[in-house]
Amino acid sequence: MSGAAATRYDVAVIGAGMAGMAAALFAAERGLSCVQVGSGGGILFASGLLDLLAVHPVAEHRLWQSPYDALATLAGEQPGHPLARVDPTSIRAAFQSFVAALTSAGLAYAPLGERNSNLLTSIGTVKTSFGVPMTMAAGVDALERRLPCLLVDFRGLREFSARQIAATLADDWPDLRHQRIDFPGFEAVPEVYAVHLARALETRATRERTIALIKPLLGDARVVGLPALLGLARSQEVHAAFEAGLGVPVFEIPTMPTSVSGLRLLGALESVVSSRGVRRRQLSSVRALTFEGDTALLQLDGAPGGERISARAVVLATGRFSGHGLTADRQSVRESILGLPVQQPGGRDAWHQDDFLDPAGHAINRAGLRTDEVWRPLDATGKPAWKSLFAIGSILADQDWMRAKCGSGLAIATAWAAIEQVAQPLRETQAP
Amino acid sequence: MKYALFLGCKIPSRLPAYAASTRAVFQHLGVTLLDLDFNCCGYPARSVSRDGFVLAAARNLALAGQAGLNVLTPCACCFGTLRHAIALLDEDAALRARITQALAAEGLAWSGAIEVEHVLPVLARVIGVDALAAGVRAPRTGLRVAAQYGCHTLRPSNMARFDNPLAPTIFEDLISLTGATPIDWPRRLDCCGDPLHDANAPLSETMTRAKIADALASGAEVMCTACPHCHLRFDGVQSDTADASIRTLLYTQLLGLALGLPAKSLGL
Amino acid sequence: MSHTLFHAALDASLLLCALGLLWRMSTWYRLRIGPDVQDVTLVHRLRALLRGLAAALFTRRAFHVGAALLLDVLLQRRLYRSDKSRWLTHLLIFVGFMGLLLMHALAAVVTLKLFTGYESTRNPYLFLRNLFGAMVVVGLAFFLFGLRHRRRHTRHAPARRPRDAAFVVLLGFVLATGFLLEADKIVSPQVFYRMAKEFNGSADPAELKPLRAFWASEFGVAFDDLTVPIAPDLLRQGRAMHEADCETCHAGAASAFVSYPVSRVLAPLARVLDAGQAPTWLLYLHVFACFIGLATLPFTRFYHAFAAPISLLVNGAGPGRALSSAGRAVRRALALDACVGCGICDAHCSVAPLARHLDNRYLLPSHKLIATGELTRGRLLPSGHPTDGARDAAWRAAEGAFGCTDCGRCTSVCPVGLDLDDLWQSGRADLARAGLTAPAQWVRARPALAWAELLQSDSWPRSFFDPDARDAPLSADRSSFSRCVQCQTCTNVCPVVAHSTDPGSGVDLTPQKVMNLLRLGLRDLAMGSSMVWSCATCYQCQEHCPQGIRVADIMLELRTLAVQRLGTVRSQKEFS
Repeated sequence: MSGAAATRYDVAVIGAGMAGMAAALFAAERGLSCVQVGSGGGILFASGLLDLLAVHPVAEHRLWQSPYDALATLAGEQPGHPLARVDPTSIRAAFQSFVAALTSAGLAYAPLGERNSNLLTSIGTVKTSFGVPMTMAAGVDALERRLPCLLVDFRGLREFSARQIAATLADDWPDLRHQRIDFPGFEAVPEVYAVHLARALETRATRERTIALIKPLLGDARVVGLPALLGLARSQEVHAAFEAGLGVPVFEIPTMPTSVSGLRLLGALESVVSSRGVRRRQLSSVRALTFEGDTALLQLDGAPGGERISARAVVLATGRFSGHGLTADRQSVRESILGLPVQQPGGRDAWHQDDFLDPAGHAINRAGLRTDEVWRPLDATGKPAWKSLFAIGSILADQDWMRAKCGSGLAIATAWAAIEQVAQPLRETQAP
Repeated sequence: MKYALFLGCKIPSRLPAYAASTRAVFQHLGVTLLDLDFNCCGYPARSVSRDGFVLAAARNLALAGQAGLNVLTPCACCFGTLRHAIALLDEDAALRARITQALAAEGLAWSGAIEVEHVLPVLARVIGVDALAAGVRAPRTGLRVAAQYGCHTLRPSNMARFDNPLAPTIFEDLISLTGATPIDWPRRLDCCGDPLHDANAPLSETMTRAKIADALASGAEVMCTACPHCHLRFDGVQSDTADASIRTLLYTQLLGLALGLPAKSLGL
Repeated sequence: MSHTLFHAALDASLLLCALGLLWRMSTWYRLRIGPDVQDVTLVHRLRALLRGLAAALFTRRAFHVGAALLLDVLLQRRLYRSDKSRWLTHLLIFVGFMGLLLMHALAAVVTLKLFTGYESTRNPYLFLRNLFGAMVVVGLAFFLFGLRHRRRHTRHAPARRPRDAAFVVLLGFVLATGFLLEADKIVSPQVFYRMAKEFNGSADPAELKPLRAFWASEFGVAFDDLTVPIAPDLLRQGRAMHEADCETCHAGAASAFVSYPVSRVLAPLARVLDAGQAPTWLLYLHVFACFIGLATLPFTRFYHAFAAPISLLVNGAGPGRALSSAGRAVRRALALDACVGCGICDAHCSVAPLARHLDNRYLLPSHKLIATGELTRGRLLPSGHPTDGARDAAWRAAEGAFGCTDCGRCTSVCPVGLDLDDLWQSGRADLARAGLTAPAQWVRARPALAWAELLQSDSWPRSFFDPDARDAPLSADRSSFSRCVQCQTCTNVCPVVAHSTDPGSGVDLTPQKVMNLLRLGLRDLAMGSSMVWSCATCYQCQEHCPQGIRVADIMLELRTLAVQRLGTVRSQKEFS
């Protein structure tokens, strides 16, 4: 695990989305030397909520309150689904490990149980998720019990309207009130941005002024909901201060992406990954990936002269279209780095249903890489492309993570499973 | 170990203590620093002419190349600018050709082999945190220090390769080895505001004051800097106000004190 | 030469010189450079002068002034530190000239008073006169050689006026006529006869033959009828006559180690020269050249001999910034005069490579100094309808002034000790008040929409605003920003937007809006946006962008585009 240029890392993770970060995290935890290439920008679109599995079957939009029950059913009905191929014990361990890592970086989560939670979104709909940041946890209870609640928003914050949430839920939650205030210090500007407000709240004076503005509006509210901007890296501290100052539980509602909670998550992940010794190469991408015997060679661009990295194993966590792991042209879908065969509908005509909002989703969303039982993507002949190349996360075929609400679960579970594989030969070569 | 010392435009006349402390520390560590007849790194020219900026930077690199030395600079802005120029020369062949021609008119050439380093990574990785810690004679125990990374050390990270831009630890590690206590502060990675002081002085000052207030609120006694712009900025703003009570110290000064070098030699 | 003519000419030259000096000096009390001295009156300045003089003479400062006099004025320590070869050149000219001035030109009032036995033809004076003259000649030769060497190696020569060259020519002329005069007097039979008449009593060639023979042999006089070798008998006789009448005043001609060899060249022409009254008109030429030099002294490069020492002494008397505003006003105006145009500042300027590349000599200190003078005299911006050239020059000067990085090198190497730092700062303030500002100010003086409207005139083809791939490759290539999905991350992580809680703060568009304008092809709006100039180049946007868009790099490119394109438009629109 030295830093010399000629290092041969145990594992190179390509991609820094949920799956890539989880893989880097798990690798470092197991003592593997790890280098991770790619910008974590995709995580900025996350909300901080960690979905495991909430909807199955997708076509019926059947919601599950127990993700593990859903997984069991999924395993029975779609054994090829990536989540079905990771055993539940591993999934539990993976989530615990992931959340523990985040907690160590100052981003605590409510204890993970066996059930999903329901929370408000910023447009007043309800989202079902598994891992809930502490700062959002009080909202679960508030929603469930329809507690007298005050929702507060800020003038000029375009991505969040307390009034809209209240209006959407008016019939269902009559004790839901809303108020708008000016964020202290930003009274003179027409538009405000959530990250700026979040950081401003890390200053005690601003925090106290904001609390003082909200307090008189409480009335009989027993819980207060705010857009997720209670601090950036110090969300625990800011959230606790709000609860103490207002005297009632406070919950955050995730805002539209890209959000403060996404930036928090990215910051926490980078912090953990960095402190565990993972070599990061943000703003770089892999121009070429080749294999020579036991070693993978990555040619990076983005830095002068490029950079060559060698590794014993490679984890491909490059994502789908927005992450550029998959590229689509007018004919077909390609895998961007190695040109691995992508399982996909026969022709472009078959990519989409006629109805854009078809509940079953579209075939193109289920395109992706097929892998063997140990998560190695297959080449054109149906054999693993390389003995130590693994593919994880949303690039995998046979899943529709957006509709199944299983994005983080897919990422974390498959990352865990793949790293298990990467770690195996090492374990075998080390003396017991 | 030998480097060509690149001081830039700010240090010699506005912050000679940074040159003095850098020289003192590196001499103590057995590293030779040579002075060449460098020109401006090119940063101010970035707003006026892309070719002009790269030419200015490349000329410095060519001079270092002539002397066969890598460049070491204590200024974060110069570091970022020179590295940026190298990256542009690397990716833009037409630019490279034009710059080569312009340099040739002076009998200079850019080979692409010259590396540009900032004082902090050289101390932390080339000399090594452990080696430095072993040389500490007068640990600054109990001193609570806020690390001011500045912007151009960290970003854009593909050119700077200084540390993880979102979660760097190198400066805190360097502070810890002196015996001082690095503190965590929310605005530690924020810009000091200096680049704006001509274009928008009030905004620039707001940014600087926000940083000072944040450092103080987080319990810092000293603001430790690695760039003359940041340093002069914090000094400059504070000199107008009565209530600011945070010391500004250059890292080379902090390290020099910890290594037991006389304060006078560090410009203190 | 008749006494009356000589004295009349001398008096006239002195008067002209004095008037000229007064006129030049008056600028130190009239010119106002810098906004901080705009209220300073003549009375203030005179009072400051008196106070300064008193301080310089009667306080501890006197010591510093004395040290400055010795080290900086006489020994030229600053010049020595900056450029040793030029120090040597200057020393040669300086010592040579002062020697000639004091010992030779002012012999009647200086040398004669100190050394009663003075005769211009005696040693050591004869030798010294030649030595001093030779020093000046060698110094001038070094100077010209150095000039040629520097011209070949730099693109922009230091600012020079035509009269600078005129002075060098004049000095050379004075020396040339001086040596030629002395050489001619050595060979001239006419001069011999005149002297013989005065000191021997006779002007008869036959009677004087022994003396003539002696003088032809030992002193190089070119008589037609006497050729060397001379008969020893004749020589002995001549020597006796010489010892009687001439020796007391004449050292050996060989002591005139420059004039004597020259006289050997002139010897064959002695008769022709005598026939043409060469000794007389050479004298007239020599003396009148000196008088012309004296009369025009305040307006030629020689003026530096007056202004530079004063500047050095003023600096020696105390640091620059601590002066009162009156003191600062005088010092800045004085700097304009005391600059000798040596260009040592230019040679050390940190942005000299940029001056070459942008072909803007106003980035260089010596040219900036001239421009500062022009600006303060109201000549940089002529009133009425300025021509293209004048307007352009004014803006070029502004670009030069605002391109300075304030590194301070010019100030530390200036041999005359000018406080250039202070001059540049005040110069920039004056430029800004005259409406000649840095791009960050003049772009932001109009809102983006106003720029866009200005740009939408018929004389500008749309292609004028297309960024070209050479200087703005990212802006020219759609793929660098077409992936922007307007996620607002760049805006959210931007510290400038975060702290712009005041509507007048100069942030009209957020970064993501600027990117959107580019996507929409509205380059001119993007270029004219004030956000582009309020960017702190902290690179948070570029570091965080999920699509890898080089936001900060594009901002900087938009700046260069604005400087070039909008700058052209601004110039056109301003005077039409």
